[in-house]
Amino acid sequence: MAVALVGRVDARWRLLGSTAGPVGVPEEALLERLRGRLAAADPALASDLGLLDPDSAAGIPRLTCSTTSAPELAVVAATDRVLAPLVAAASSAGWRVRPLVLDGSEILGVATSLADPRVRAVLAGASDPPGADERALIGDLGALVAATTERRPDLVAVLSGGLAEPGGPVEGLFRPDRSGPTVLAPSPTVGGGEPLRALLDDLRGGADDGRRALAAATGTLADVLQRRIEVVEIGRSGATRAAAAWTAGTVAVPRTANVPEAALLPRSFSDAHLDAVMGWLTVPLDRLRVRDRLRELALAPWGDAAGDGAQLRIAAARAALERLVAATPGFDALPAPDLVIASGGAWHVAPGPAVALALADVLRRPGVRAAGLDHARLLAPLGTIEDPEERYAVMADLRDDLVVPLGTVLMPAGMRAGRSMGRMVINGDGGPVELDLVPGGLELVDLPPGERAVVELDLRDPVRLGLRTRHVAMEVAGGLGGLLVDLRDVPLPLPARLERRRELLASWQAALWPELEP
Amino acid sequence: MIREGLAVAESWFDGIPVRRLLEDGLETRFPLPPGDRPLVDPGAAVLPGDPLLEHLRDRRIDEVTVHAGEAGRPIPGSRWAPTPGRRHRDHEIEGELLAPLPGKGDRWRLVTGDHRVTLPSPVAGVVTEVRPGAEIRLRPDGRVLRAAFAAGSPARGRLELATDPFGDLRPGGIDVGRAGSILVVGSRIDAEALTRARAMGVRGIVVASLPGKELRDFQASERRQRAALHAPPPFGVLALEGALRRSIPGPIMALLERFAGRDVALLVDPPALVFEGEDLASAEMDPTWVRIRSGPNAGAEGRLLGPAGLRRFAAGVHLEAAFVELEGEGPLAVPLGDLERYG
Repeated sequence: MAVALVGRVDARWRLLGSTAGPVGVPEEALLERLRGRLAAADPALASDLGLLDPDSAAGIPRLTCSTTSAPELAVVAATDRVLAPLVAAASSAGWRVRPLVLDGSEILGVATSLADPRVRAVLAGASDPPGADERALIGDLGALVAATTERRPDLVAVLSGGLAEPGGPVEGLFRPDRSGPTVLAPSPTVGGGEPLRALLDDLRGGADDGRRALAAATGTLADVLQRRIEVVEIGRSGATRAAAAWTAGTVAVPRTANVPEAALLPRSFSDAHLDAVMGWLTVPLDRLRVRDRLRELALAPWGDAAGDGAQLRIAAARAALERLVAATPGFDALPAPDLVIASGGAWHVAPGPAVALALADVLRRPGVRAAGLDHARLLAPLGTIEDPEERYAVMADLRDDLVVPLGTVLMPAGMRAGRSMGRMVINGDGGPVELDLVPGGLELVDLPPGERAVVELDLRDPVRLGLRTRHVAMEVAGGLGGLLVDLRDVPLPLPARLERRRELLASWQAALWPELEP
Repeated sequence: MIREGLAVAESWFDGIPVRRLLEDGLETRFPLPPGDRPLVDPGAAVLPGDPLLEHLRDRRIDEVTVHAGEAGRPIPGSRWAPTPGRRHRDHEIEGELLAPLPGKGDRWRLVTGDHRVTLPSPVAGVVTEVRPGAEIRLRPDGRVLRAAFAAGSPARGRLELATDPFGDLRPGGIDVGRAGSILVVGSRIDAEALTRARAMGVRGIVVASLPGKELRDFQASERRQRAALHAPPPFGVLALEGALRRSIPGPIMALLERFAGRDVALLVDPPALVFEGEDLASAEMDPTWVRIRSGPNAGAEGRLLGPAGLRRFAAGVHLEAAFVELEGEGPLAVPLGDLERYG
């Protein structure tokens, strides 16, 4: 749980402090901690805000949101061919998906899964019109789902594609007087699956859902900063990817995906998930030990956060971010963002520069972009402000407090390996710095938060950097990690052997996380 | 000096999560997949050993002709048996209606089987919900100690302490004299000792930690046992803390010692131990007593001295911390996230 204290200072909203605590710790205790610190650090300001006395923060207005465990959705179709797009749409709509296919399965197993009380809704779909491979099974599909709703009248049934004919034979199998709704939904092939995804997201409910609020805040922040923004949130119960672009004269509409499977440690945690974490781990821990420590992390996500516990967490966060990117391929077709913001508890144990590196390791898109951290975890609560104009006004006031600048990542692609590709001059406040650009490496240029520099690239061959070019000059912003010149390949090639891979990752990380013991 | 600070800043205690030793109002669930027959109704009071459900060990699907009777159209989830005295090819079949067969008139799929076992309730309580094909929910009468996770099946037995809180039970340490008991075995146990305990008639194991490897080995063994011709007696494992080795917390060990010799129920979903009978009031806990749940000193217990503020820990990680006095050691700064209090 995270709490941030925002106050009105000099006629504008400012962030006064933030803290976090384990689940189960009362919100009031965290708020009182912040109030006490404010009173100790600036008694005059605390007095002006009426926060000087103990417990004086108890009655102040609050914006609250929460991210709870994703509900479970059974997705059922006649064949794997039909199931795949349904699962793709559902798995980015905030549901934990239980895929079921009739072809080649035992009916009893499918029926048992559908009747499982943990399943809160069923999405059944067919091609429109049904394909030859599924026609013989369509009847069974409708009968099974309808029978399940007879056992559990409260179950939400969503019929998609060829099953969603209004007044059709399949809809007629469902009792209209049962307590749960029967919803006719668009096919997952319509609009790239977005209409179905949006409908399933709405059906999920959750009035104070933090992930929906985060998407709203992303749109507003894009307008405030007049930038293309992408937020990647990795949490205990799920992950969010939200993108929004500012366009003059319009309100930015965020595109969002909420993927429970990309949680730090998803419920379906398997050997494949463990392998993915092992693949990013920079400490030599054996597989059984890592499994046990991850299990402990799932039980108490706030515990064991220092030392190699922090490295384990950042490895799990990278693996989760990989899953998030894999589950949201549509985002890669959007224009590359100017600013990528990391959000969620998974990022908060590592130093800022290490988070910037983690983002660069996984989000491999050629170009230049700034990286930031939603350090106070304030974006989602601000997204709960319903009036867009009020939300804009508050976020405009807080624009300098919301995101900690982690630095700028410069990531060219299409380089020829093995020789110098040219040089780069960074003209900053401290005078020009010249770099020889050797593909495969990672260069770090000190550029503190608040500073800006002009980077000039003079290359032998054209590279992809948003556009294909040999000579370019651009302004970049500093951050905790400075300027990260990432000359590694896109996508990132890593050795298959775990030891070699670990050494390579550790060598990249060493410069950005110097507090780690060698 | 630190103790004086504590006196004026007791609200800092609230920043450390409290672990409740004994809870009320927990609901436990028993799976009731299609074909299994509930033997209780919602609202029914059950005692330990009362039949709860009839479990089909060899579920299969048959097709039967179902005619709409006086009660109206057949409903999925309802029980079905052929009309007595009529010659019919479905004569021997009895079971639960699953779903109608599409395009075949009044033919239905029926879940049935030949081998049935009655599962008794491990705990006294009130049935709160019966969902045919899904689950039975029951609210135990007693008070509950929650655990991190469990494996196996719900069980009931006499609580016995086999080792001290730091102990490690070896297979050779379990004999048939422990039959019918739920053993408290200290810090850890391996899969071999678990399977031996099950073979000796032990009904359950309560342990501080169960590593993932042992858990997987035990679950594989349990699946083989359940697939055998004769149903094995119930046997469950309850891990109180997690997967990494540490001792049973002092306050929990005191609780287990208090109830040693009495019958307790071991629940799997959610993982918990249920204490019944009289004298179930929670013991008064020292609010400054804390346990280090995770991190380098995991398992250690001591007294909370006061807040340490935001501190820098290994790997340059900054965390809110508190000073804790461990036995025989000076004040130690511990991240608040690694601590837990008891209440």
